[in-house]
Amino acid sequence: MLKVSQLSTHYGSVKALHNLSFTAEQGKITTVIGANGAGKSTLLRTISALVKPESGSITWKGRELVGASPESIVRSGVAHVPEGHAVISQLTVEENIKLGSLFRRRKFASDISQATKEMFDLFPRLQERRTQLAGSLSGGERQMLAISRALVSRPEVLLLDEPSLGLAPLVVEQIIQSINDLCRKTGLTVLLVEQNANTALSVADHGVLLALGEVAADRPAAELMADTALRAAYLGY
Amino acid sequence: MNTFLTALFNGTSRGAIFALVALGLVLVWRGSGVVNFAQMGQAMFTTYIASTLIAHGNSYWIAFIVALIAGALLGGAVDLFVMRPLHKHSHSSLNATIPIIASLGILGVLQAAAGMFWAGEERGFPTPVNSLGLSISGKVMPFTAFDLFVVGVVLVVLVLTTIFFTRTGMGLAMRASALNEEVARLSGIKVHYMKVLSWMISGAASSLAGLLVTPATNLSPNSLDLILIIGFTAAVVGGLDSLPGAVIGGFALGLVISFVNVYLTPENVFLAILLTLVLVLIVRPQGIMGSKVGRRV
Repeated sequence: MLKVSQLSTHYGSVKALHNLSFTAEQGKITTVIGANGAGKSTLLRTISALVKPESGSITWKGRELVGASPESIVRSGVAHVPEGHAVISQLTVEENIKLGSLFRRRKFASDISQATKEMFDLFPRLQERRTQLAGSLSGGERQMLAISRALVSRPEVLLLDEPSLGLAPLVVEQIIQSINDLCRKTGLTVLLVEQNANTALSVADHGVLLALGEVAADRPAAELMADTALRAAYLGY
Repeated sequence: MNTFLTALFNGTSRGAIFALVALGLVLVWRGSGVVNFAQMGQAMFTTYIASTLIAHGNSYWIAFIVALIAGALLGGAVDLFVMRPLHKHSHSSLNATIPIIASLGILGVLQAAAGMFWAGEERGFPTPVNSLGLSISGKVMPFTAFDLFVVGVVLVVLVLTTIFFTRTGMGLAMRASALNEEVARLSGIKVHYMKVLSWMISGAASSLAGLLVTPATNLSPNSLDLILIIGFTAAVVGGLDSLPGAVIGGFALGLVISFVNVYLTPENVFLAILLTLVLVLIVRPQGIMGSKVGRRV
């Protein structure tokens, strides 16, 4: 499991995460919800080492991730899809997917074309557009591409930051369902950060509610979904 | 007609060298966001190394290879020992200008060191093939064997660079690192290695440019200053962040200089360079092949 304990992160003098502790079960979808500024993205950026924590520990299967570089964390099987459809718009769809598999090209050369094919099966629209520049894609397609770039490295953990941001509900549904299927089929561990709590809780096994950098609730997703008082207090509906 | 051909071939051969210089500048700019003003100082230094090797009785080709390797190592060293520590310790709003000032400092150090090691006086530099007008079946051509050599070598370099960047995994990793560092790192690419590599390729390319241009300029600690200025202009004309643009800019400036030299007077060359730059920047501010999106400054 992915275990976060006593994690604190600063941005300059502003405290973004304060003594945060929770665990994400292996093979399950754990969602981190909360209002804007609750520290959700900072949490993912700290796990993938884009941001250095002040103190605390993050372990995957007992191995410490704090102190490692972002690239070595990806190489050890923890892939991060940052907020905002993170693709390289000047590269083609194919090249963007290839990026994620580059570090495996020596050891697992034979698996790369298989992994790439699986991405095209997961998101057939990407196959149709594979020679186009990523910059010419729609928002939904870009999000699919960013997820494919992460998945093609065959990660054990997928950190997904606001995949629904700026997308039409139908597209969000499709992307979330694909992730759900993949998790159930392959045993992928997913940590899903979302502002759209309903969508996230509907597929997640477990939910962590963040408020101002602290854990306000840590419960099974169905329970969080049902707790109207909690939702009214922290999410405003 | 013969004058025209002479200008054309001469311009192409010079343009090939400017293309190399511009390529080196663009590689480092894309990879690290630094305009490396020390680049031709590095090339001057490695050309001195080649010149010294030849003076000690080694063949041109050994000196040639050693200079290219020295160029790559010197380029990598500038990144590892100057640019990277600076980047690590700088937190001010001057972040973008610090590396530029540092590169001017390196240029000064290299020129002073060359003056100390090899004295200040100018020396010649040999060509591997004849640099007199080539004659084919008794007819003197408007270009020399060395011109052919220069254009040939540069074309080979350009083809290899293109294949490297478009067909290999490492080339893709380098492009990705230059375009979006965060996405590259999150894809498991060791961006720091890619940066050193871009400095090394740039160093080798400029070292090659130094070897190819010095037979015409002679060698002194300042002999390549002008080449840097023209190469930089070529890079800007081509669109600072585009490799094909750098090559086009290099050849374009080579031809402009050569035609002005032949049809007008050599005094007008600098005016022509400036005019080319201004015209291109008025018509296409981002350069011939540059991307429209502004880069951080």
